[in-house]
Amino acid sequence: MNSSIVISTPPHVKSKRTTKKIMLDVLIALAPAAICGIVYFLWDALILEVTCVAFAVLAEFVYFFIAKGGFNVRFANKETKTLAKDIKQLKKSGQPADEACAQLKDKRSQLRKEAFSKSGAVCKKWARQFDFTSVVTGLILALILPPTVHWYEAAIGAVFAIVVVKMVFGGTGKNIANPASVGRVFMLISFVITMNIYPAANFGPIDGATLGTGSTYLSGALLTDNPNLEAMSLLDLFLGTGVAGCIGETCKLALIAGYIYLCVRRVIKWWQPVLFLAVTGLMTVALNGDFAFFLPSILSGGVMFGAIFMMTDYVTSPKGLYAQIVYYALGGLLVAVLRHFTHLEVTSFVIIIMNLIVPLLDNFIRRRPFGYVKEKKNKEGAGK
Amino acid sequence: MKAVKGRMLFGGAHVPDNKSLAKNAPIEELPEPPEVKIAMSQSLGRPAVPCVNAGDTVLKGQLIARADGAVSSDVFASVSGEVTGVCELENECGNKDTFVCIRSDGTGKTQYLPPLENPSAEQIVERVKEAGIVGLGGAGFPTAVKLRPKTPVDTFIVNGAECEPYLTCDYRVMIERTDDVMRGARYIAKALGVENIIIGIERNKPDCIEAFEKYSDVKVVSLKKIYPMGGEKQLIYSATGRKIKLGQLPADVGVIVNNVATCLAVCEAVETGKPACEAILTVSGKSVKKPANVKVPVGTPISYIIEHCGGEAEAPKKAVLGGPMTGVAIKSYDNYVKKTTSGILLLSEKEAAAEEPTPCLNCGLCADHCPMHLMPMNTAFYSSAGDIDNAVKLGGVMYCIECGVCEYVCPAKRPLIQAIRNTKAAVRAKNKGGKQ
Repeated sequence: MNSSIVISTPPHVKSKRTTKKIMLDVLIALAPAAICGIVYFLWDALILEVTCVAFAVLAEFVYFFIAKGGFNVRFANKETKTLAKDIKQLKKSGQPADEACAQLKDKRSQLRKEAFSKSGAVCKKWARQFDFTSVVTGLILALILPPTVHWYEAAIGAVFAIVVVKMVFGGTGKNIANPASVGRVFMLISFVITMNIYPAANFGPIDGATLGTGSTYLSGALLTDNPNLEAMSLLDLFLGTGVAGCIGETCKLALIAGYIYLCVRRVIKWWQPVLFLAVTGLMTVALNGDFAFFLPSILSGGVMFGAIFMMTDYVTSPKGLYAQIVYYALGGLLVAVLRHFTHLEVTSFVIIIMNLIVPLLDNFIRRRPFGYVKEKKNKEGAGK
Repeated sequence: MKAVKGRMLFGGAHVPDNKSLAKNAPIEELPEPPEVKIAMSQSLGRPAVPCVNAGDTVLKGQLIARADGAVSSDVFASVSGEVTGVCELENECGNKDTFVCIRSDGTGKTQYLPPLENPSAEQIVERVKEAGIVGLGGAGFPTAVKLRPKTPVDTFIVNGAECEPYLTCDYRVMIERTDDVMRGARYIAKALGVENIIIGIERNKPDCIEAFEKYSDVKVVSLKKIYPMGGEKQLIYSATGRKIKLGQLPADVGVIVNNVATCLAVCEAVETGKPACEAILTVSGKSVKKPANVKVPVGTPISYIIEHCGGEAEAPKKAVLGGPMTGVAIKSYDNYVKKTTSGILLLSEKEAAAEEPTPCLNCGLCADHCPMHLMPMNTAFYSSAGDIDNAVKLGGVMYCIECGVCEYVCPAKRPLIQAIRNTKAAVRAKNKGGKQ
């Protein structure tokens, strides 16, 4: 019997799955979209992806460092101050101050050591609790930006997403809305010009000729008033070639690859994005009265990316099965309706709206325990 | 009868069962330990009251403590020898308990009850009570109380699911003592006055299913391998489709459930008059040299059993009495086998869970997997904030069966069961305070 034996409440075995592994799975699922973005938009995409991830992680680290007292250290205290004063006086009066100087040096180096070890401990603590959530947030934010955005704008958006949306509410698992989504909306209203230009994906540097003003075929000034469905190639929409859009949202093939990976790893439930997209498509069809709108509506803009990676965010989606069904269906409905009437790409707004009503859904669509029977059904339910 | 498939269960988790460690080890009867210490609280309810004194000579199977109250059970000497003392010791939960210590004289003389031949229903119930048989599935509810249901019962289910990982003692009992289990089940069915016997077995034990298919008077239900299939409510739903309403007992839907080990004990009590003084348990885990299934007298020290299984292969991280999902972690081997002990597990560093909890992700996996369809994360969240009312209301704690699935699947390794137990204790304390 060794002394390092652990006692705890059951269960004494636990699954191998950890938060870190789930977040790594999400990163792997995002990889195809990120790579496609780089292939389509070259340096512009790469710079944005790197900036967003780096600033997101940095913002999280700095916030953690400050919050946990990493800066709350002293390089001087009463002793060193009085010593310094003494030395000054000694020097003034012309007496030798070597001994006091050495003493002061010793004291100061000791203080410095203590301060560094304290800050170092905070850093180590951060490294221990680091679970890749900020990397995921940063990468998602980069993938839903148009490649024309300047890197410093993206950096501001990433810092806003992490600090204001995530860390202020308590960090991992406590944010009330999807950080990336709020970050994008923040940028949309802060940097109106750059955020509203969408260059077409053409395997090369962005040139002025291909700039469009809408992230979707069904939005923007060119196509909304008189949608010309025949002019679009569904294959182009699916692969994202020559289509205007955000970095990660253009290639639907890459997104579907990520979706399949997430389903296989059981990070998300397969029906969730499907329900969201189906409702979006069907509602668009209903609003336009034409079945030809079904595929273009779900293949254009950020709706597919949002459905797979952002609506399914654990933190900000409801928990019960029925609440989830309402959440995804209502989200899809809102996307279709708002798109139809505003002619804008609204997925990130809808995601925020849905995130904010999650507490209501959780509260009103309460889960019933196994064996719960309504009062009325009591008579016929007995013995069966 | 040919096996039929059980119903799907919503919730539950696939827990790697690790049964292969001790699966093929036949039940082996260990030599009598030199001294046994028999705990007085062997079942739910109040501890039994000792009726022997230091210096008395007792025979194996002799009554040493009387039940105190309706849900308490009699306790019997498990070896023949001399009572060396009635003392207070710490039990596995860390509470004080009265123990009767008996030094074995090695003769193995027995004093059993007279065997019954062709017993009537009333005789069987009386015998089950006399023999101090308790439910061996884990909770230790006296079987005699179960055999006198207040509502009419039409089905008797034998619980052979054994959904707890590692444990294989029920599996061995089903394989080696198939006939005895069947006879015990028939006695119980006779005592209850029911014809319909169902045995539920998980699909990872195909040889058990095959063994019971031979009998024509039992309906074999092959259950999906999912934890906690052996939970009473889950088993009844899967085997019969009946849902037990909240706050009701199985008897309210006309079903009584007993474990296979209980059936075996009933069979032995009726046919040979042997009272509940032995336990069949699994010794397993990667830290044990020789995983085994053993039959030992009640009160055998854990250290004695481990020694007989070759000792430790490596330093264990956790030592558990019972199954890994619901068992009790013990801090030393100075504990003693009870009637209900179903396993001793020494979990190695790799197997045992002892990670630091990380912040709750709010992922809802605990709710997805909860077999009672509760919301464990709400309980944990509100109880940590001291808001017991909301913890009960939004988390549904009072219906929790404490199967441990929520904590098993939690990617953040949150101590959910601890939160649930704290909440339950707080509610109980509150109710008590209100009544006085």
